[in-house]
Amino acid sequence: MIFGFAHRRQFVLQSDNNTIMVRPVLSERSFKAVGKALPRNEDRRLVTGRGRFSDDFTLPGQAWAAMVRSPHPHARIVTVDTAEAIAMPGVLGVFTGADVRMDGLKPIPHNPVPSTNYDVKLTGRGGTEVFIGPHYLLPHDKARHVGEAVAMVVAETLSQAQTAAELVAIDYEVLPWVADTTEAARPDAPRIWDELPDNILVDSTFGDVAATDAAFAGARHVVSATFHIGRVTGVPLEPRAALGSFDAETGRYTVYAGSGGAVRQKQELAYVLGVKPQDVRVLSFDVGGNFGTRNRGYVEFGLVMWASRKVGRPVKFRAERSELFLTDYQGRDLVTEVSLAIDESGRFLAMRASNLSNVGGRCVSLSPLSKGSGLITGSYDIPVATLRARAVFSNTMSTNAYRSSGRPEVTFAIERLIEKAARELGFDRIELRRRNLVRPDQMSYTNAVGSSYDSGEYEINMDRAIRLADFDGFPARRAEARARGKLLGLGFANYVESSIGSPKERADLIVHTDGFEVVIGTQPAGQGHETSFAQVTADLLGVPFESVKITLGDTDVVSAGGGTHSGRSMRHASAVIALGAEDLIERGRALMAHLIGVGKELIRFEGGVFRALDSNQAMTWAELAQEARRPDVPQEFAGGLRVRRDNEMHTPVFPNGTCLCEIEIDPETGALDLKRYATVDDVGRCINPLIVHGQTHGGIAQGVGQALWEHCTIDPSSGQPLAGSFMDYGMPRFDNMPSFKTEIAEVLSPTNPFGVKAGGEGGTTPALAVIMSAIDDALAEYGPPAIDMPATPDKIWNAIHRRPDGERRDDAG
Amino acid sequence: MLVSLTVNGTPVSREVDDETLLAVFLREHLGLTGTHVGCDTTQCGCCVVHLNGTSVKSCTVLAAQADGGRVVTIEGLERDGVLHPVQEAFHRCHALQCGFCTPGMIMAAVDLIDTYPGPLSEGVVREEMEGNLCRCTGYHNIVKAIAAAWPLMHGQTVARAAE
Repeated sequence: MIFGFAHRRQFVLQSDNNTIMVRPVLSERSFKAVGKALPRNEDRRLVTGRGRFSDDFTLPGQAWAAMVRSPHPHARIVTVDTAEAIAMPGVLGVFTGADVRMDGLKPIPHNPVPSTNYDVKLTGRGGTEVFIGPHYLLPHDKARHVGEAVAMVVAETLSQAQTAAELVAIDYEVLPWVADTTEAARPDAPRIWDELPDNILVDSTFGDVAATDAAFAGARHVVSATFHIGRVTGVPLEPRAALGSFDAETGRYTVYAGSGGAVRQKQELAYVLGVKPQDVRVLSFDVGGNFGTRNRGYVEFGLVMWASRKVGRPVKFRAERSELFLTDYQGRDLVTEVSLAIDESGRFLAMRASNLSNVGGRCVSLSPLSKGSGLITGSYDIPVATLRARAVFSNTMSTNAYRSSGRPEVTFAIERLIEKAARELGFDRIELRRRNLVRPDQMSYTNAVGSSYDSGEYEINMDRAIRLADFDGFPARRAEARARGKLLGLGFANYVESSIGSPKERADLIVHTDGFEVVIGTQPAGQGHETSFAQVTADLLGVPFESVKITLGDTDVVSAGGGTHSGRSMRHASAVIALGAEDLIERGRALMAHLIGVGKELIRFEGGVFRALDSNQAMTWAELAQEARRPDVPQEFAGGLRVRRDNEMHTPVFPNGTCLCEIEIDPETGALDLKRYATVDDVGRCINPLIVHGQTHGGIAQGVGQALWEHCTIDPSSGQPLAGSFMDYGMPRFDNMPSFKTEIAEVLSPTNPFGVKAGGEGGTTPALAVIMSAIDDALAEYGPPAIDMPATPDKIWNAIHRRPDGERRDDAG
Repeated sequence: MLVSLTVNGTPVSREVDDETLLAVFLREHLGLTGTHVGCDTTQCGCCVVHLNGTSVKSCTVLAAQADGGRVVTIEGLERDGVLHPVQEAFHRCHALQCGFCTPGMIMAAVDLIDTYPGPLSEGVVREEMEGNLCRCTGYHNIVKAIAAAWPLMHGQTVARAAE
């Protein structure tokens, strides 16, 4: 036993091909940095303007790329005439889909089907392999959405490239198109891919169909609803940018491109360009927001690298905001039909769901559909359920995971359905939930579609959130609002979500004479890894937090790693660092044993110091690191005091919580005001509360944004996206958001050494449901009316002032 | 054309195209990449700098308009290795995550705190800062940081002495 474990009980988890021992690593008494609200190590450079974002890099001789984008949602590319553009001043090259094909560039290997041991298994019809639609850097056959890059111009300056791009003459054969999710799934819809008989690429059924049918047949009540959780986009504030360069002497490509994981980008770009991974270097330092948007490869990354080889100069691309609204990977867009069978006492008996995910013109990720599929029963003990999960192509930008991939959608479905059931059947909406919550004594709890919830105290969270939100004071606040002529509504939602993510992570732990370094392959975009990972490392090694430096983002340094998505990073990093720290301590003991000529078993590590048991000799990490650098050190310590540790961890965790909010509506105008917002989130072990609360705040804003303002509207008559700038895409802003009350519950997960679940996405997961719940509650006297997100004042005013037939109500407001 | 101005206290002169924006001038001609550009429509505020003591969105100001003027960027706030009180407040309050909006946010906040006569209430901060967008923080901690920085800037000696 090298350091004091909290207790001896060991959790043993089966992994793919090895057995990982999972146990609490440290006594909480020895936490000096873990759990503290330490301000971040990242901040100094970021508040002084010394961040390193992709567009901050410039290389000598750098040229610029501009994209020629399709103005049509669906069109065959007949001819591309580049002659006029090539003749323009400063133009170095014009490239088309034909050139991509001629050079043998391969499609981006997106690998969209989630494949850890615990992901639900999505397939094509009848269990067939999923056809995803090859994603070439430039298409040679068709444009499949408005904004798709069809050609690229490279010129000396950005404005020369942009001007010449206007002169690339593309002869399009305009084709029938379909953008709407439900319409795209119809058998007679315009077909996006000739390889399929229709647009359906995934059609899988989960759960026990016969048992579900039987439960529904015998149920006293059945409540059903259909919801469309619409299309939004991530809007990281840093525009996508990439600077590629090719070194003809070494045959090596370098690209500066911020993403959700440099290692993944390296592998994919090497495949696209037909070179070995070691011939690609990806640099991704500060990333100005991700939210899932940057988790998949973009064509422009490969294009600037390829163009650099073609023109013999570094080439930079930087998207304008209007391009980003068209071509950042987008989020959500799920149609869900749900039914709940309920007995006379309000117990849930069975659930049925049919979910249809719009993947856009190509499938880059099925994470949203997959993640949601495992969670359709939410926080509730529903004995049987059936889910049909389908995915459909359409003439829209591809969708990807977006802030809490797939979970807000299914949370919306179950929570809205429960509220509907409560209204229609006369139950109290909170009591109905309480009666059906999964209980702590049922943990770990396997839900009706096979997801195994690791831990949680759902009812305790719920009661805590109710107190935090001053639920008991709501009637008085409502009466006070009423006296001012306003309608105040209380929203309520529970949630449970899963955090799975790429199962592998690697950490290098290096002891320098003046401090400690951890090299790891996650990729933060504001989540504070340089701080929270240092907190974990410091406590594991018994050293000051300030002495630990985290290195990320350069694939010549970071050799492997799963990137940052799905709330995976804190859990995977703390697990692999814990394992690496054990190895490092073992090496330290071995080195000291060698140095003083005793057996390793006589060296004890405690409080950051190695001591020989039978003497008063002691050595620090720094002293051992110094010794390890001596030329006469044994071979096994050559290269210094360092370890590399790989870990594979498939078991998911299930963050959960409860959220309440209050919305005041002015019936005269339909305007609404989000007055109060309170959440309790079980994130498992909270390494840094300052960071976790901050993640929750941002997550809430993104969820509220979708409920109230954000929507990638497409004109139904032309297929043209109408949201192309911050002037027509509604963002959460200073003056439309409230301050929040957020509390963290720490029910430790038994699945990983520190007991981490995940933080941040829990802010978003219940937010859509809770906002719409509050609007329903405020408008209860009007039905409540069915209002689709985003719940704009226009929709609310019409709901108040017009009857369902469109006629104006006489009695309203 | 030749543009001459003072940037962070240092006189600079550069030959630039007439249409060069101040944001582009700072980033690409002077290498001051702390000023960020996040949109094309003067909405996001990532590019806010001070021109002659007032905050401006530098993506909507021509470099030529700044000729003869004084520009302060995010790189110019720190003094002798000591963070400006607003930079310090953003750090302490965790008012930044990805950090991309942060330079513009801080420059706008410095101007607001400088010119606002009384302590800043949450409502005033939310109204006055409305021209800056953040996607990470939900604004919660930025509001706290700005409110916390007002007394630091207006009673700096007192606040510093008390430390």
